[in-house]
Amino acid sequence: MTTLLRVEDLEFKQKPKRGFFKKQSKFTLSKVSFELNAGETLAILGENGSGKSLLGKLLVGAEVPSGGHIYLNGQKLSPYNLKQRCLNIRMVFQHSNESLNPGINVAKILGNPLILNTKLNASERQKKIEDTLKLVGLLPDHMFFYRHMLSDGQRQRLALAKALILDPQVIVADEPFAALDPSVRSQTINLIMKLQKDLGLGFIFISHNLGIIRHISDRVLIMQDGNLVETGKTDVIFNWPKSEYTEKLIKSHQSLITPR
Amino acid sequence: MALLDIKNLTLEISGSTGWMKALDKVNLRIEEGEIRALVGESGSGKSLIVRAIVGAIPDNWRITADRLTWRGRDLLTISRSERRKIMRSEIAVIFQNPVSSLDPSATLGEQLMESIPRQIVADTWFWQRRKKRLQIAIKLLHKVGIKDHQKYLHAYPHQIADDIAQKFLIACALVSSPQLLIADDPTRGMEITTKIQVLKLLSQLNKTRNLSILFVSHDLLAISSMANKMTVLYCGQTVEDGKMVQLRKRPLHPYTKALLDSAPSFRKDLPPKSPLTTLDGTIPTLQHLPIGCRLGPRCPRAQKECVKVPELRHVQDHFYSCHFPLIREKE
Ligand SMILES: Nc1ncnc2c1ncn2[C@@H]1O[C@H](COP(=O)(O)OP(=O)(O)OP(=O)(O)O)[C@@H](O)[C@H]1O
Ligand code: SF4
Ligand SMILES: [Mg+2]
Repeated sequence: MTTLLRVEDLEFKQKPKRGFFKKQSKFTLSKVSFELNAGETLAILGENGSGKSLLGKLLVGAEVPSGGHIYLNGQKLSPYNLKQRCLNIRMVFQHSNESLNPGINVAKILGNPLILNTKLNASERQKKIEDTLKLVGLLPDHMFFYRHMLSDGQRQRLALAKALILDPQVIVADEPFAALDPSVRSQTINLIMKLQKDLGLGFIFISHNLGIIRHISDRVLIMQDGNLVETGKTDVIFNWPKSEYTEKLIKSHQSLITPR
Repeated sequence: MALLDIKNLTLEISGSTGWMKALDKVNLRIEEGEIRALVGESGSGKSLIVRAIVGAIPDNWRITADRLTWRGRDLLTISRSERRKIMRSEIAVIFQNPVSSLDPSATLGEQLMESIPRQIVADTWFWQRRKKRLQIAIKLLHKVGIKDHQKYLHAYPHQIADDIAQKFLIACALVSSPQLLIADDPTRGMEITTKIQVLKLLSQLNKTRNLSILFVSHDLLAISSMANKMTVLYCGQTVEDGKMVQLRKRPLHPYTKALLDSAPSFRKDLPPKSPLTTLDGTIPTLQHLPIGCRLGPRCPRAQKECVKVPELRHVQDHFYSCHFPLIREKE
């Protein structure tokens, strides 16, 4: 198997901002390293405010790290070559609503990244949009829909389509399942697992749901207060957690699933 | 006698396409001392049931029921002031979105102290009342697991984390020693360790105060860890109802089965990364409700008969409404 993404000693120190909430003004993320193979899933787990979302943003280039390196297929990504990063590592945000402009229809939501990042002409773009909609289980007809006409599940699919349309190699998703209903959630999970099998997509997701993490992820990375607590194969972490914190999380989860 | 007894509750909302049945003959019973879960996907009408119980129904909605009673008293016909009295001292509600249901302009301490009823401090001299209220407030905060009362009594709602807000609302709800606590989605978005704390707190209140709880949620893991009984709602219709253990072991309705299957944690036999079984499609909107059984278009067992609304049937105390339940066919 080939290493798709390698992260080495990635760190982040926030410069104090004026007028910002006090507690967060000195947030630091200390060195994080991990690897991800093609078609694999990495889950990031930790408390609110532990730096999970920040790590996600560093990976997609929405924030600039203060140190460390990211390698994609062995090639180092420069923090300033955002275009290359944008094409290959895409983010699905926590609330898909916020990233979907309500004023434009689906064809435009999906078409704009193509106009900005590719040289495709109008009919090629059209074809790409149709293909991507089908890929995520939507219909070409949905092109003429606006955000408010889509259900939650369809919006989540659209957000995924928006991330997929540039053929990225890695998708980073912040709590992609939290707002979904059980049945739609299972549909979305199945879809992602299928895309990974078919396209070799690397998938990194942030979640509180240990049940889902255990089911779909190959590796887990646990964060606490901006520190990497531990990382490793899902199976190993769940059965032999090294840190007290991880053990507590897993015990809590176990206590919910074992019937009284 | 049940504390709360709802039979065939129907709630209609008028929309551009005419009257829409947002709740269609819903049944729900809560006995004294039990924790009942009300489960269903987003938009299935859980919060509407809560509103119907509380009486927060706008004038342009139509509400009918064969029975909607609180300890034998008919909630549909009693006077507004009677109803308010019940809501103040016997039933407490924690609404969805904890932070937004708090007053942003007052500190937590002010809000909690204000909600302490006058009767409780009536036997104190008025110059001592503030102190007494403060003592009660601190005791309540400790009871719900907020230890650092100094810090939080002086905090404003926007300064506190969600789980503190949730615990704080539980504290407010306990002020009047209610018999029933209705908690609408109290663990949404919580991380696992805080979730466990809130669940433990609720279970503990249930045991020590004999507090009945209606736990509204679609977090199956949370529900099954604490509830005794469960009512499953789909698209405004109650589809199944019974003891938690029974429903988990042997669901009769295809929707309940799908719901349980959707939680990978419940399925020990599931190989990692295997596809999850699920229903196609999503819950329809009120404007496009299918006739008959509303699960029809998504149901793997659906047949011709399903265009008729299935009657409520039962095997002992396990209720379901489906024409083709998951019972092994008689040989
Ligand atoms: N004020 C309103 N006017 C019109 N329709 C409404 C109103 N409030 C709720 N509805 C509709 O009633 C249905 C049930 O809504 P309800 O809020 O009870 O769902 P819920 O089960 O609580 O969902 P969730 O899990 O998201 O909280 C939905 O289709 C919703 O769109
Ligand atoms: S009544 Fe028919 S459509 Fe409804 S759940 Fe049963 S089998 Fe499915
Ligand atoms: Mg609700």
